[in-house]
Amino acid sequence: MTEAVLKIRNLRVLMQDAGRMVPAVDGISFDLHAGEVLALVGESGCGKTKTAEAIMGLLPRAPASLQTGRIDLEGTDLAVLAESALRKIRGRDLSMVFQEPLTALDPVFTAGSQLAGVFRRHRGSSGAQAREQSINMLQRVGFSDAPRVMQSYPHQLSGGMRQRVVLAMAMACRPRVLIADEPTTSLDVTTQAQVLTQLTDLGRDSGTAILLITHDLGVVAQYCDRALVMHQGKIVEQATVDKLFRSPGDDYTAELLSAVSRSTSP
Amino acid sequence: MTASNRIWANLRRDRSGMTGLVIVMAFFLIAAGVWLGLLGQGWSLADGGRWEPASAEYWFGTNVLGQDIFQRAIFSVRTAFDIGLLVALLSTALGAVLGAIAGWYSNSWIDGSVLWLKGVLDSIPFYLFVAAVAFALQGKPWAMHVAMIATFWTTTGRLVRAEVMKIKSRDFVLSARAIGLPDLLILARHVLPNTSHILLVQTSIAFVAAIKTEVILSFLGLGVQDGVSWGLMLAESTQEVLAGHFNNFLSASLMLFALLMGFNLLADALQDAFDPAQVSV
Amino acid sequence: MQYLLRKSLHGLLLILGVTLVSFILMVWFGPDQTYTLIGKNASAEQIEELRHQLGYDQSFLKRYADYLLSLVTLDLGSSNSSGEAVSRILARTVPVSLALMIPGFILGNLFGIALGLSAARRRGQWVDRVIGGLSVTGMSISFLVIIILLQLLLSTPYGLNLFPVRGWQVVDLPSYLYYVTVPSLSLILVTLGYNTRFYRAVFVEESGKDHITTARAYGVPPAVIMWKHVLKNSMVPIITRIMFSIPLVVISGSLLIETYFGIPGVGKVTFDAITSGDQPILKAVVGLTAVAFVLIQLLTDLFYRLVDPRIA
Repeated sequence: MTEAVLKIRNLRVLMQDAGRMVPAVDGISFDLHAGEVLALVGESGCGKTKTAEAIMGLLPRAPASLQTGRIDLEGTDLAVLAESALRKIRGRDLSMVFQEPLTALDPVFTAGSQLAGVFRRHRGSSGAQAREQSINMLQRVGFSDAPRVMQSYPHQLSGGMRQRVVLAMAMACRPRVLIADEPTTSLDVTTQAQVLTQLTDLGRDSGTAILLITHDLGVVAQYCDRALVMHQGKIVEQATVDKLFRSPGDDYTAELLSAVSRSTSP
Repeated sequence: MTASNRIWANLRRDRSGMTGLVIVMAFFLIAAGVWLGLLGQGWSLADGGRWEPASAEYWFGTNVLGQDIFQRAIFSVRTAFDIGLLVALLSTALGAVLGAIAGWYSNSWIDGSVLWLKGVLDSIPFYLFVAAVAFALQGKPWAMHVAMIATFWTTTGRLVRAEVMKIKSRDFVLSARAIGLPDLLILARHVLPNTSHILLVQTSIAFVAAIKTEVILSFLGLGVQDGVSWGLMLAESTQEVLAGHFNNFLSASLMLFALLMGFNLLADALQDAFDPAQVSV
Repeated sequence: MQYLLRKSLHGLLLILGVTLVSFILMVWFGPDQTYTLIGKNASAEQIEELRHQLGYDQSFLKRYADYLLSLVTLDLGSSNSSGEAVSRILARTVPVSLALMIPGFILGNLFGIALGLSAARRRGQWVDRVIGGLSVTGMSISFLVIIILLQLLLSTPYGLNLFPVRGWQVVDLPSYLYYVTVPSLSLILVTLGYNTRFYRAVFVEESGKDHITTARAYGVPPAVIMWKHVLKNSMVPIITRIMFSIPLVVISGSLLIETYFGIPGVGKVTFDAITSGDQPILKAVVGLTAVAFVLIQLLTDLFYRLVDPRIA
């Protein structure tokens, strides 16, 4: 197994709820290796998204949230990094794709300018260079008419197209880690397959480690190498996808799996 | 906790809101005192010297006519509440009724007419309107109130209309209609009470607007005619301050500021208490 | 095309409504100027003659129709008090009012936007609280109090004594600044509290949207997020606010400021006309305001299209 790119140790996240601090993530630890696709599975409310937000440093400021634990990205502990240093990392070494493609992009700027912005900020590209790099990137995520997409505003693009633009932004600087939070939940099945294939292909090309958050076990089976099962803020099982489906170690995992097979069997 | 208990608890925790409430209550007590004839009765007596400084007899000194500024300032609290309460309550009520009707029958000619009326009233310059109403009513003292009520209702109307449009597609309204209750009854008993948070906040805001408007109208000579108000005191003071006599100005402006501040803090707290997720405007 | 027609119809109905309401109140119920103008010992015929001239003996509909006609043809008549042609009066006073009110109006909004952005960016922190506190304080001070205070502080020996108490003798830039500063400052201070409050709310709401989270996730610095992304996305409510506060702030405000500072603009002329019952002037001002309001609505629509690519 290759060296772990992201090491999470004992991550705890507490959220403020009506005056009390409630644990959303309750002491989880895991490793993410270069080039692998790690699924983070669980029902809604189990802490998957809060984990992603903690890693990215996007949780609301104290006292609305409190966080402890180590988030080690290739030797640097992100949890103790100052915001200005984090900003350099976000979008370059560590990026994220969100759940709602329809609202993820800024409606008053063109898709092209938002993508080019990533190159300008993190690669120091000039305007012309960034434009070229953006067109290349758009072609890599499967757009046949990249120049037209560059000039389009988000509302002129479909949900799947917008998600691919975000994917382009996410992979633009060949990040070490990509977190994809339910990236295809609101898309139709065919577009889902398209986006997920793009995502995993690009990841493999760049050697990016992908943390794929999903509640869809079918996606886990098809695209992921390993899986973490979360339940009420804790990781209840870590295994390769093979092992997970064949002989789940934990009762909860077994329940999840049987629920799926029950709903899909005749 | 029930919804209203939770709101009340939220309100109690809001220190600036509570401060506002205390201030408003204090002023209200003063106004009540004047109504009952206990305070401020000597506002028109001119038995002092001109521009006497503050003393044991005249706590805030006297004005150019030798009247007791303190008494005048106290009496003005009642004037403020007279105008403020009347205008705030009636304009909010009018806005609620018209807004509810417009929202209920939205996109019909009824809605269209209310919106047109709103547009017309919003586009007439306010002071022109006040003056016009004053002339139309041939100088009756309540011209100012009528003009204010006729123009202040539009904000409440707009907010209530929007809220009613949202409410009318909710389940409990649909069921009420399904069992055949008449529209107006549904509006009055089921829909409007659900806009009470808007109405409460708007009443406070309208009170503030009414008092501020009275101040300017009195300065322009279109406002309070008999009696005394902070506006009239300020109007008196404009020339006085240039000659170095500040008592009139200070008493009127500080008391005015205190009452307005109290109401604004209260209005903010109410807004936050009813819907902390919504950003207060 | 259909859209334009519908908008024009609305505008027309609005103008009709405004002129009708104003006409009823001011002209129909307005003071009868016959006796103030005629002097003593007038004969019955002379009185009759003047009343006919002033139009008091005609029916409501006829007078209203004449009024509308005069507006459309811009035949505005002459002031009853001074005899000067109304159109000349307007030509003389409207530029003065604009020169007086526009700087303060624009600056009041610009500062409000800037303060609102700062407060929204540091939401919940002490900067936000201080700005919020100052806004509420500003909202609780009467316009009149601000004017008197500023005059005291800037125009009298009790303060800096740098500016004039009244007047408007503007011939060049220095004299313009000399006369416009105190009125503009008072306008800014009066509107700043309300503006900041409003803009802060708009910006906080916009900051909570998903695409802002995306920007943060891609390392965009907070200043750029506020001034580029949040601001541009908030242009629609900003434009709405600015355009629709023009009647209130600029028109009503000019009445008070000009009367107080003795500045010969439309506001002062209107106020004088109100107190003396000078109908030709009042009719013209009302008509002008109604048209201005409709123009504002059309311009607003135009501006929306310019700033938001989603509006076709």
